[in-house]
Amino acid sequence: MTAAIENQNKNEFDQAVKGSSLNKDAWRRLKKNKMAIIGLYIVIIYAFIAVAAPILPIYSYKKIILDHQHLPPTFTKTAGELMYEKVKTRMLIIAKKRGRTELNEREQKKLEGLRHKIKTEVKTIDGEIVKLHERIYYLGTDYHGRDMLARIIYGGQISIAIGLIGAIVALIIGITVGAIAGYVGGAVDNFIMRFVDIMYSLPYLLLVIIFMAMFGQNILNLFFAIALVSWLTVARIVRGQIISLKNSEFVEAARSIGASNRRIIFKHMVPNTIGIIIIFGSLEIPAFIMYEAFLSFLGLGISAPYASWGSLVGDAVEGMADFSWRLFFPAIIMTIFLFSMNFLGDGLRDAFDPQSKNKL
Amino acid sequence: MTNNKILEVKNLSTHFKTDEGIVKAVQNVSFDLAKGETLGVVGESGSGKSVTNLSVMRLIPSPPGKIMNGEVIFDGEDLLKVSDKRMQQIRGDEISMIFQDPMTSLNPFLRISTQMMEPFILHQKLKKKEALEQSIEMLKLVGIPMPEKRVHDYPHQFSGGMRQRVMIAMALSCKPQILIADEPTTALDVTIQAQILELVKALSAKLNTATILITHDLGVVAGVCENVVVMYAGQIVEKATNTDLFKDPKHPYTKGLLNSIPRLDTKTEDRLFSIKGQPPNLINVPDCCPFFPRCDFAMEICKQKNPATTQLGNRREVNCWLYEENKEVNLG
Amino acid sequence: MTKFIIRRFLGIFPTLFIIVSISFFLIRAAPGGPFDTEKAIPAEVLVNIEAKFHMDEPLVVQYGRYMYDILRGDLGPSFRYPDHDVNYFIANSFPISIQLGTISIVLALILGISTGIISALRQNTWIDYSTMGIAIIGISIPTFVVGPILMYFLAMKLHWLPTSGWITGRHGYVTLIMPVITLSLPFYAYFARISRASIIEVLRSDYIRTARAKGLSGPVIIIKHVLKGAMLPVVSFLGPALAGILTGSVVIEKIFRIPGLGKFFVQSAFNRDYTIIMGTVIVYAVMLVVLNFIVDIVYSFLDPRIAYK
Repeated sequence: MTAAIENQNKNEFDQAVKGSSLNKDAWRRLKKNKMAIIGLYIVIIYAFIAVAAPILPIYSYKKIILDHQHLPPTFTKTAGELMYEKVKTRMLIIAKKRGRTELNEREQKKLEGLRHKIKTEVKTIDGEIVKLHERIYYLGTDYHGRDMLARIIYGGQISIAIGLIGAIVALIIGITVGAIAGYVGGAVDNFIMRFVDIMYSLPYLLLVIIFMAMFGQNILNLFFAIALVSWLTVARIVRGQIISLKNSEFVEAARSIGASNRRIIFKHMVPNTIGIIIIFGSLEIPAFIMYEAFLSFLGLGISAPYASWGSLVGDAVEGMADFSWRLFFPAIIMTIFLFSMNFLGDGLRDAFDPQSKNKL
Repeated sequence: MTNNKILEVKNLSTHFKTDEGIVKAVQNVSFDLAKGETLGVVGESGSGKSVTNLSVMRLIPSPPGKIMNGEVIFDGEDLLKVSDKRMQQIRGDEISMIFQDPMTSLNPFLRISTQMMEPFILHQKLKKKEALEQSIEMLKLVGIPMPEKRVHDYPHQFSGGMRQRVMIAMALSCKPQILIADEPTTALDVTIQAQILELVKALSAKLNTATILITHDLGVVAGVCENVVVMYAGQIVEKATNTDLFKDPKHPYTKGLLNSIPRLDTKTEDRLFSIKGQPPNLINVPDCCPFFPRCDFAMEICKQKNPATTQLGNRREVNCWLYEENKEVNLG
Repeated sequence: MTKFIIRRFLGIFPTLFIIVSISFFLIRAAPGGPFDTEKAIPAEVLVNIEAKFHMDEPLVVQYGRYMYDILRGDLGPSFRYPDHDVNYFIANSFPISIQLGTISIVLALILGISTGIISALRQNTWIDYSTMGIAIIGISIPTFVVGPILMYFLAMKLHWLPTSGWITGRHGYVTLIMPVITLSLPFYAYFARISRASIIEVLRSDYIRTARAKGLSGPVIIIKHVLKGAMLPVVSFLGPALAGILTGSVVIEKIFRIPGLGKFFVQSAFNRDYTIIMGTVIVYAVMLVVLNFIVDIVYSFLDPRIAYK
């Protein structure tokens, strides 16, 4: 071992010396967490589908086709076939009630007419001419004959968008308020924290319900109402972070060499808070989706013809015994997404602060 | 040779498993402790001084740490081999340990009385009333004013220095044979430091307790310890009596440490001395002297083999190739 | 300590005052009075109704009147159902919600904490992984998904449990099972995770190392030294958990058709029955504030640093 091997990455002992930034470290740790990476991939897939929805080869999510009401999910049978079977089965049951095992002429003629309609009926949807009854509804249809697959995808679009935008808004408000409270301190801090405390103790979701019921159900109100209360936790966390950073030694050091307040905030404090912000962002998104779903379930959120995962589940509860697919598919799709986001959020938290695995 | 030895540590090695590899925190450490002796263990952060002593107490968290090798003979028993139950009997009763940060070392949710009574109840089987009385006595001994009242307080109602006194009182409650003090004054003000050290010195003399004092501060060692062990990168590099170490350090590292202490008679224009370089990463350390890159006297063999221990007589040992044949060496 | 309790107690009132005021103004500000949805009402009747409810008086007077009534415990008449007043409706439905909520939170606490302790002590074993797995499921699946799914399998397909109803009905206590499981699941999950994390963190702290150095044995350390401190985050979370139980019960009551206050509340929100809405909000708010107060006090008993400063 010749002395002083001036290989820039090795010290005198021939040991590798790697410098690495906090974020690179975190990314490396994240990559090791298999569940989190799976979660990440799933979330990306969902996001992709949600964004690409308009160009995907799926049926309309809002066109009402009463003929196709409540068709069960299938991989192979066309809507026409299902309709035909349904009508035929019903006819046979009625016939049986009347003591017959076969269909009489009138009934058979009806079936013939139906078969013809199925073969030939054509409708214009979104400017395209569609041979309706040749559709295959993989996930079945709902009460209005709308395609569950399409509704779940578009519902996902709305749910994810709400989750994302809501989280961003909550973060923006929360970070601003929290940073001001933390950095300025004193009376301003006290006032803001009293306010946060009081808002915390309000049964705020109830107020949101009132709000939605009173001021009408549209997406804007929904956002406003939910955003109103969800920035609280972020504000608290950010404030706490800022306060502990404010008193930390490296800030003192920066100040002692003459760094301005703005520089301190942006170059020193913000990068240290980014980890927390990312973590909370990733946890706020599923929280928002849950809030919205909660409201929609109660009938106070998204209204027809739009759908969100929550409203889909809410609509499905009534007919659950007979039309179980209306409940299960949206529920499963939504749950998988929430799972993935939670694993990802957990993984991010682990990656940025490995000690926190053993905290909350 | 004298059967005055109360603790014999032989070839102790402790490793930690981490994401980046196995950290060899303590390698092949051996030292002895005599009855009533005050031994100083000196080294910088990461030198292995705390881990060594935690290993003696078997307080190493077991994943990720593991005591790989060695013997710790106490009173005829090898502590590394006794049962957990036996170890629990020994801890707090025959060997006690106090730690660096008194702010966090006491349970903030329990009263001082509760915490101080525990050793009495557990090891001496006293009843609550007697345990409380004894606790108050111990508080008096360490100089806490109004002990009958303060014993019922919570830790946050004490200052740092007083908390450390409480820790000392707690540790000495059962009159242990050995007290291990891991940097007891590092977290305290300098003025309090002196008081605490005096207290430790006085009490251990009074109770004839052998004391191992772990520190990075040579000043502390000079004032309190009879003998000194110097550690670097998980290994012992030198052992000497107090006077010998300061008068005539043998290992280049020790010499560097002594030179690093700012002196009152240094001229203001002179730069402060510090040993150049950094301690090594303790993962994948090759077989060499761990100090060689920073050593002004490094030789070829230093880079290739870990030095063997050379006995220099009169309770002196050094691990350095310079002394291999008991040559006379002038470190200048 | 007593000073602390008194101070906290007095702090309740401003909060309640603000809540009541907010409810009052919020509802007054909402578009659409209570009567304009359905049939057109003759003008004279409308005038009478507005007089009865004092809507012709200036806002400030209405406010004052309302405050006074509240203090007397009178929540006013219903806007929708002129034969009964708000107290009647609330008195009939609130106890049911309380039963549901209490059983759920107690179950969640007991199971959550014990599971958390076991997981913390048996970290990274199959026990740990399975209990924490259930916990993630509990947190991720929304209540309004769990409820219907349980109902589908247990009631409709397997016929083990009745689909709806409450204790006083035909089926008795069996009807409790599904709603309580559904409502308590996410909170069980949170308590389990929090307990586990908290215990693990406490186990790594310096003062536990001191306890070990004193020769204390494992079980003693856990019970005497670890639990008290480790339960703090659990108690902290109890406040938001109680609020969560309250809001969660609204959904549960809808799914399982339980005649509780939540179901009633949502209906009233749709009906724009002002007085009932306000009355419900006030009842909920008072309950929450009082419960939070109790939680604060419990917390201060556990953590001496709070009260003795």
